[in-house]
Amino acid sequence: MVSLARKNLLHDRTRFVITVSGVAFAVTLVLVQVGLFMGLLDKATVTIRNAEADVWVTSHQTPNVDFAHAFPETTVLRVRGVPGVARADNLIIAFMNIQLPSGAEEGCLVYALDDFAGWNLPWKVNEGQVADLGRGRYMFMDRSAVRRFGPFSVGDYREVLGRRFKIIGTTSEAASFTTAPIVFMDYGNAQELSQVLQGKTSYILVKAAPGADPQAVAAAIRRVVPYNDVYTKAEWAQRSRSYWVVSTGLGMNMGVTVFLGILVGIVVVAQTLYTSAVEHMKEFGTVKAIGGSNWDIYRILGEQALIAATVGFAVGGVISWALRPAMATLHLNVLVSPSFAAAVFVGTLLMCLGAALFSFRRVAGIDPALVFRS
Amino acid sequence: MKKVLEARGVVKVFEEGSQKVEVLRGVSMEVSAGEVVALEGPSGSGKTTLLSILGCILTPTRGEVTVAGETIDPSRPSQLRDVRRRSIGFVFQQYNLFPALTALENVEYALNVKGRTGRGAHDEAESALVRVGLADRMHFLPRDLSGGQKQRVAIARALAGSPEVLLADEPTANLDSVVGASVLELFRDLAKRESKGLLIVTHDPKVRDIADRVVGIRDGRLAA
Repeated sequence: MVSLARKNLLHDRTRFVITVSGVAFAVTLVLVQVGLFMGLLDKATVTIRNAEADVWVTSHQTPNVDFAHAFPETTVLRVRGVPGVARADNLIIAFMNIQLPSGAEEGCLVYALDDFAGWNLPWKVNEGQVADLGRGRYMFMDRSAVRRFGPFSVGDYREVLGRRFKIIGTTSEAASFTTAPIVFMDYGNAQELSQVLQGKTSYILVKAAPGADPQAVAAAIRRVVPYNDVYTKAEWAQRSRSYWVVSTGLGMNMGVTVFLGILVGIVVVAQTLYTSAVEHMKEFGTVKAIGGSNWDIYRILGEQALIAATVGFAVGGVISWALRPAMATLHLNVLVSPSFAAAVFVGTLLMCLGAALFSFRRVAGIDPALVFRS
Repeated sequence: MKKVLEARGVVKVFEEGSQKVEVLRGVSMEVSAGEVVALEGPSGSGKTTLLSILGCILTPTRGEVTVAGETIDPSRPSQLRDVRRRSIGFVFQQYNLFPALTALENVEYALNVKGRTGRGAHDEAESALVRVGLADRMHFLPRDLSGGQKQRVAIARALAGSPEVLLADEPTANLDSVVGASVLELFRDLAKRESKGLLIVTHDPKVRDIADRVVGIRDGRLAA
């Protein structure tokens, strides 16, 4: 079968390049922008996903994992008594100032536990033994801190809130949405650093007993700690994500970006397809004169839109993929899941078909008698 | 001879605002299988309108048209399209080839529109081009063909699908006299050999030489 759509599209290469460029621009904009957003959101929940806790107990109205509020650490005793709870431990997460060799002070996010290994925190250790954290004023620092704190190595000392801590290990992938580097230290050491944390904790991590339903365990804990909030792992991750999406306006910003990307794509594709349709009016008249219907012409325009969408998506996808290393050098993670890429592809097809509808209206009224006009 | 095209009392009135213009005033004519008819007339005489009605592109205001034995019902646009697809082959003054398609693809695409696809359509398109003497130009784009060659491709396209009626609108208007004459000869031979009814609308006196019959039209009426 001869494809007049494909032949016409490729016959005018300049127009084809413009059409594909428009689609590729829209696809790249959406993939990179939303991919960056997803990468940021991934940081917002990375510790929740990696910690081996089925249920999180937080202070009332804690908006996300980084912005913790303190509550009495003895609450954990009530939680441990709830049926279905296999284990419950206090976890401190708090922003603290760290003094750099230059004399400057920076903020870091301290994670403090009695037994890190029992909760799979930190989950990627490069150097050192996590079990040694409880043996003195020691800490682990994530490698990503180099960007904010400058070079450091195991054996170096840093002051946290005026107390000297020895770096005895390093980690990877421990990141916060706020970009504050993450430091791991012993629970008791963290409490000593701040009056606010005396006798207090930020969270209670809960492991459900084998076979117990985390939802049911969370519900049971809620009954014994009415002044706290209790979430399953999935609920807590969702709440942390939602905070950054809704409260900061980032979600709206992404929405506007995606909308603009789609708008640009539609305008470019609609414009080029429409111009092409107008220029091929006599050809479409010929199609009708030799027995073709409006649907034959719609099929031509639709096929052109689908070709432009597919090629444009491929080009946009390659550009987005090629941008990842450049983004990585800026410590930006472009996270594009297969399902998101598939959704963008379907969206691109719909966008281009939608753009072709403008041309449908123009060609619907073609009079085949125009073939007799010279 | 079997009549393949008939018009009986065809009237066509165009309305332009409050004005009514009667372009055809009771035209009756017929074309038989294997017959070549030339339709001559000055500009504005109604010959293109008559060709459009006979080609099922326009419908008459009054009167009746029969193509390949099928009487046209003006209230059924899908029938007009079906008859065009099945029974009529067109050749236009400007050739109206698809610039992005090769000669072979131009003919094959017309067959696709007529519902024929695959190897059969490809082979039939090749055969049509061989019959018009373009076996060595099948894979050329229209821009690489001369005017006479383009018109031969258009004739091959009109022949593809074996319609019973061929309608040509000024087929030699853009060709020099020598090429025009050879195209007309070819057209006539093919119409005769394949028993097509061929109606040629023209100003070109050479068409008289190849036509079996010449019909004149003036002011919307056939001249005696």
